[in-house]
Amino acid sequence: MKVLLLETGLVAMFGVALALAANELSPRGLTLSRNYSPGGAVTAVRTASSGLETNGQSIAQQLEKQLAAEGLQLASSNNAVELFKNSMKDPGLVIFVDARDDEHYQAGHIPGAFQLDHFHPERYLALTLPACQAAQKIVVYCKGGSCEDSEQTAIFLRDAGIPRDRLFVYAGGFDEWTASHLPVEPGERNGGAMEKSGTNTLGGGAR
Amino acid sequence: MSSTALANPVSPGTAPRPWLDYAGMLSRWILGAVFIYMGWTKAAHPEAFLKLLRQYELSTNWFLLNSIAALLPWFEVFCGLLLLAGVAVRGTALLLLAMLIPFTAVVLHRALGIASLQQIAFCAVRFDCGCGNGEVLICRKLVENTVLILLSCGLLTGLGRPLAVWFGLSKAAKL
Repeated sequence: MKVLLLETGLVAMFGVALALAANELSPRGLTLSRNYSPGGAVTAVRTASSGLETNGQSIAQQLEKQLAAEGLQLASSNNAVELFKNSMKDPGLVIFVDARDDEHYQAGHIPGAFQLDHFHPERYLALTLPACQAAQKIVVYCKGGSCEDSEQTAIFLRDAGIPRDRLFVYAGGFDEWTASHLPVEPGERNGGAMEKSGTNTLGGGAR
Repeated sequence: MSSTALANPVSPGTAPRPWLDYAGMLSRWILGAVFIYMGWTKAAHPEAFLKLLRQYELSTNWFLLNSIAALLPWFEVFCGLLLLAGVAVRGTALLLLAMLIPFTAVVLHRALGIASLQQIAFCAVRFDCGCGNGEVLICRKLVENTVLILLSCGLLTGLGRPLAVWFGLSKAAKL
């Protein structure tokens, strides 16, 4: 039995050491010492089953309340469309920030949206942060539903010095956007391509 | 399972049962392949795994959750490779059990919660448990995990010796 436990301990030790090395070397590795979910209360509301009511409050109401506690504002579907029209009229003053990963962003995003995946912010900050600093209204979105990346990214931007009253979270997200048949831009930002939503085939995942 | 049986998986008086050992070898390969696949799919998207882990509400300690999300997938790949090669098989099997049993318990707990919240039949519960296969039906997942646990138990008793590079530390294991 002792031998078995010794063997198990050795495998565990080598395994942890190799896992640490692999995480360090992997381009998708996580930084262990970084809190990726600073908005814990917001996350809890998002992960609850959508549509259910708690103490007479809908999930949307709870989310709005929790976002307000973080100093953020909730953008409804109508708000998002209105802000999108404004972003077309006044480029730079109203901007959209896509909080999803590269794969989903490249498959299709709200036209003109900047990207900021809060798990790897260093890749996007050089382009996205100056745009956010110059904008008057910043609408952050992710997939929608139980996706919490928009809140986390908005909190990240707030903590990076963007005034909180400029930050809006579009909770319906990209799923709601495409369901409303609004325009979608595949590939790079302002790459020239545009398609009608509903043609985007990248659906799965929690982003 | 007695500690004597664990320490001496092949007793001198026991009649040889090669078919059982070859079945053990097959189990070792199956387990190895499954763990490499499950680990690799999670290692490719550790942030997605982290989000799924948070949904279990096991802990609010983000360092602990980060560590599990970042290290567990690679650890699974490592264990899978050891089993495929046949290195430290019993020790690895014990580690698999240490991962599979608590994980199955938390998946079961979450599924019961979802079934109660959504008022649906238990076997109709479907969610992404963070296993690396996306959304799964809970009953199917529980059956799969039970099979994996039984296969691990088989290896723990000393089966799976054929074609093993270095079965383990104990003298009995080297027989």
